[in-house]
Formats: sequence, C-alpha cells, structure tokens
Amino acid sequence: MAKHNSSWTLRINHERCTECRMCYLVCRELDINAVYVALDPLHRIEIDTDSCTYPGCTACLAYCPAEGSIIEAESGRSMVPPPAGAHRWWLKQTTDL
Amino acid sequence: MHPVLTEFLDKWVWSTAPGAPGADFRLRITRDKCVKGWELALRTSIAEIEQGLASGNDEWKRRVAMGGYAGEGVQMSIKQMSAQLLSVDLAGQENYIDLQRMRARQVWDECKHSKLHFEVLMEKGWVKSERDLAQDPAAHTQPIPAYFGLSMMFPHIHPLARAAQHYFVEAIACLGISAYLSLVDDPMVRHEHLSQRDEELMHFMEGKYTIDTYCGEPQDQQPVEDTLGFLLHRLRVSL
Repeated sequence: MAKHNSSWTLRINHERCTECRMCYLVCRELDINAVYVALDPLHRIEIDTDSCTYPGCTACLAYCPAEGSIIEAESGRSMVPPPAGAHRWWLKQTTDL
Repeated sequence: MHPVLTEFLDKWVWSTAPGAPGADFRLRITRDKCVKGWELALRTSIAEIEQGLASGNDEWKRRVAMGGYAGEGVQMSIKQMSAQLLSVDLAGQENYIDLQRMRARQVWDECKHSKLHFEVLMEKGWVKSERDLAQDPAAHTQPIPAYFGLSMMFPHIHPLARAAQHYFVEAIACLGISAYLSLVDDPMVRHEHLSQRDEELMHFMEGKYTIDTYCGEPQDQQPVEDTLGFLLHRLRVSL
C-alpha cells in the first residue's frame, strides 16, 4: 500500500458514480458532512475536501457499491472497493490515542 | 469456498466503517450464517446456468427473463414496497426516515428490472411488445417464492428486518450476476446483468450500512436475526 499523506483527498469519479448517495448518508451519519449534492449543474454528489477528514475517516469507501467511483485525488488510484490497509492510517491514530 | 464468493467477500463484505456499532454483529452473522447460504445459492445458480448452456438452445434464457419479469415487474415492485413503506408506524417513520427513503428509491430500481427482462424477451423475438406480456399470466405469477415474492417480502416490514433481506438476499443476487457474467457470453444476457450489477450491490450496501449503523444493541439485532433465520430456512441451510 502506498504511504498515506494526511493531506491527501478524495474525489468522485463521475464516470463511475451511480449517484446512489450511500456515501452521503454515511458521511452525514458521522456528522462530518463532507459529501454533498452540488446543485449546479447536475445535482451530482461531490466531496468538500475542507470538511473531509480522509485518510482519518474512510467510512464512505466501505459502503460505496460502484467500483472506481471514489478516487484518491493526488494518486489517482481507485479507493472502491477499499484497498487492503485503507483503514490502517485510521487504526494507527486510534492506537496512538 | 467458490472463488466468486471469495472475491465478493474480500471486495465488499469485510470492510466496515471504523467504530461502526453493529459491525461486530454483522461480521459474526456473516461468518456463522450468511456465508453458508451464499455458497449454496451460488453453486445452485452456477449449476442452473451450466444446465441451461448444456441444453444447446435459448429456451432457458426465455424462462429466466420471464421469471424475472414476473418477480420484479412494475406492478409487483410498487405493490410490495409501497405496502412496506406505509406499514411502518409514525414513530418508526421518524426513527428510520433514511431507510424509508432508501426503500422508496428502490421501488424505482425494481421497476427498472422488468424493463431489462423485457428487453431480452423482445430482442430475442419471444414477445413483440410489453402489451404481449400484460396478457400473459406467466408474466405475472411466480411458481416459487422468489425473493421479491409476497411470501418473502411481507414478513420483513420492520426497517431493520429489511436490512437482513437486503444484506443476505441482495448478496445472492450479486453472486448470481457474477456467475452469469463469468459463464454466459450472450450480449443480451450480459446487458441484463451488467445493468443490474451496481444496483444490486447498492441494495446489499444498504443492508450492510443499516446493520453496521443501527444494530449495535441486542434489541436492534433481533429483527435481523429473526429474518435471517427465516431466509436461511427457506434455502434449507442447516447451520
């Protein structure tokens, strides 16, 4: 697995996203609210990188059903389904607490 | 374990949101119960597909498409899922509003299925129009308790019971689709299944998310356990 940088971000790949909104629900349930519906131009799902805590949180990746629809913006790699070890950064943080 | 099931588990099942309250429960019922049912259902699907392919003609494809149209047709989907939405009491509506919204959206998803089955029937020349199907009783009846059949759906009114149905049964749909795509090269059959692949997986994820998020306490796990027991019994899975 590539070394994670805490400033890396996620973005939606609209070529693959089915707009099912599972990521929106999950993000809202955790009260992070980084996933939102962009009204302009097409009511599509987007990720607010200022609010998103990735790689601190990887919850949306675990429930997204569309392979390749969320990608790591900086590396360009697909994060759906979550690669092995995708949660490792988060686990390290909680272990260190 | 069949490699299709192994791949499904590794890609879609084991991952959870860190700290999800119901995740331990979900993983336990998956290991102890679901995997056995999924393995049995997958092997049954593969055997049916192989039997169809060995027949040397397309009759089995007509039978599958007709059965799919009957089981997931517009009338069936609207009737069943609307009933489920409306049968939740007012307090439940407020508690489970996200799950209710998901179900409302699924009414449309299921209606779309019937169109895919119809496209196969029409493209192959077995019907000229959907009007033909409207006049054919076989297009509106189910000889077996299909998972969208009355007997399978009406017992699962509680939103958390629906989660078990989503989690367990939609996984079977996903595995069946993978089996079709790995064995059948007919472009129409592949179109039918490719179009449904992400959707069935989304319904599976609804179940996974619901169990992980809502089922941290025994009283919230009970509807899932009860429904899963019912579904496994229907498959005659002995644990």
